[in-house]
Amino acid sequence: MQQELKKSSCDTIAPSVENTDRRNFLKELIAGAIALAVQPVHAAQNQPSIRFLRPPGSLPEKEFASQCIHCGQCSAVCPNRCIRYFGLENGFASMDTPYIIPREKACILCMKCGDICPSGAIQPIKRALEPIISKVRMGKAVVDRQLCLSWQGKTCGVCYRACPLADVAIRVGLLEQPHVLDKCVGCGLCERSCIQLPQAIRIIPDYG
Amino acid sequence: MVFAMLILLPYIYVYQTFLESHAYDLLADSEKQLYDIMEALTQPFVGSDPENELDAIKGTTWSGNFFGFMISDPLAGLGQFAAGLSLHPPLLMAILIPVLLTLLFGRFYCGWICPAIFLYELNTNIRMMLKRMGLRVGSKGINLNLKYYVLAFGVLLSGFFGTVFFASIYPPAIIGRELFYAIALGGFGSGLVFFILTLLFDLLVARRGFCRYLCPGGALYSLLGRYRVLRIQRIVAECNDCAKCNAVCELGLDPLNDGFGQECNNCTACIAICPTDALEFKFQIKDVAAQGPGHLGKKYLYPSAEDQAAQVE
Repeated sequence: MQQELKKSSCDTIAPSVENTDRRNFLKELIAGAIALAVQPVHAAQNQPSIRFLRPPGSLPEKEFASQCIHCGQCSAVCPNRCIRYFGLENGFASMDTPYIIPREKACILCMKCGDICPSGAIQPIKRALEPIISKVRMGKAVVDRQLCLSWQGKTCGVCYRACPLADVAIRVGLLEQPHVLDKCVGCGLCERSCIQLPQAIRIIPDYG
Repeated sequence: MVFAMLILLPYIYVYQTFLESHAYDLLADSEKQLYDIMEALTQPFVGSDPENELDAIKGTTWSGNFFGFMISDPLAGLGQFAAGLSLHPPLLMAILIPVLLTLLFGRFYCGWICPAIFLYELNTNIRMMLKRMGLRVGSKGINLNLKYYVLAFGVLLSGFFGTVFFASIYPPAIIGRELFYAIALGGFGSGLVFFILTLLFDLLVARRGFCRYLCPGGALYSLLGRYRVLRIQRIVAECNDCAKCNAVCELGLDPLNDGFGQECNNCTACIAICPTDALEFKFQIKDVAAQGPGHLGKKYLYPSAEDQAAQVE
């Protein structure tokens, strides 16, 4: 009898408040769990701050991550020793995947890595001007005119001379001032050779 | 041998980059030494264009390139399929030969090609030494089917992360990569930590525990080799029940009672140690059911009437 009373009083005083609270709480909990679970995938697809320069002929980042089998052959065939591998610093998905730091060693566009890649993450591209321009999308060079010697009035032009696609990817104007053209593939030889410290020309990786 | 090859290949690669740079004079003394050694080693095999001809053999047992043929671990194909739901056709071709061989010969990769096995067997020896010193080494029996769950879990994780997850938990892939990192690029990657953990697992939990209970590659090969043609069999007439085969079996199988099954990796340790040559390879699709105690042993225990007569004389 007492119990019944208690129950009824509870109902009248706070009609199912506790119930909805709990339901909301559970909802939030589940939503939070799902958000947490989905997060790594989401983060891997959408990293505006972390960008890495992949070897020439690489697929767009998401496809690259799913195709690459982390075998390490692209570096084993690179004659310039420019391809290195991530550890765990960018998360699990990019562990042991290849990247290039152009300031230390830039790609010389020999296209051997695409030929040897067994997984299709790096597509084979013929080593000739036309296929390289149309298919390689590593990134694009950007000139910082505040740092660039030529733009500051001291004739330099080193980046133009380092470029393997000179006059196609980069052009120089008055005082050898560099202008990067649309056909730049992002190999990074300009960034590697820039005599300014820090470099006045940088590759912004393409995330296609 | 595979292990030696995996050490040699990165050195060949470094030599190739030295060749490519055409600057012998600018090399440091140690680099010059390496250059000379590698030149002497490779001279007989290459012609006029060594820096490109030495590309003929590249890669590791995870995925390699041998004279234009690409060969990959079936697990790499499975991982790629799980990660992106598509399989690159050349990769499919590359895994075809290993898959066919496994269908015929079973889990032979684990016993003959896996580069990690060299270290795991050394680890078993360390285990024995520790045991002799009186330290306790674990020998837990876990369900052998655990590795199939690891395989399934890896497939799920590959799909979830959108990356080939197996590459970071599969010892042969790790060993190949880490040796290359250490020799050619300098420094180790993070896979090494995982590999050391597996060594510790073997040392402290179960003998060859990783291969037997956890390895996803071993699981895949065991599944593929379920109906293999080549099997080890016990000739019951020759067997004397000495049980040396059971003691020597790295994978903890039971050759004495005809217990080979899909787990056997054809390592032939039991064949080598058998004092009466009672174990041999046979082409057969199914294992023979348990045949009971060996007949030779019976002869020892209960000498026949003729033997007794001979002894009396």
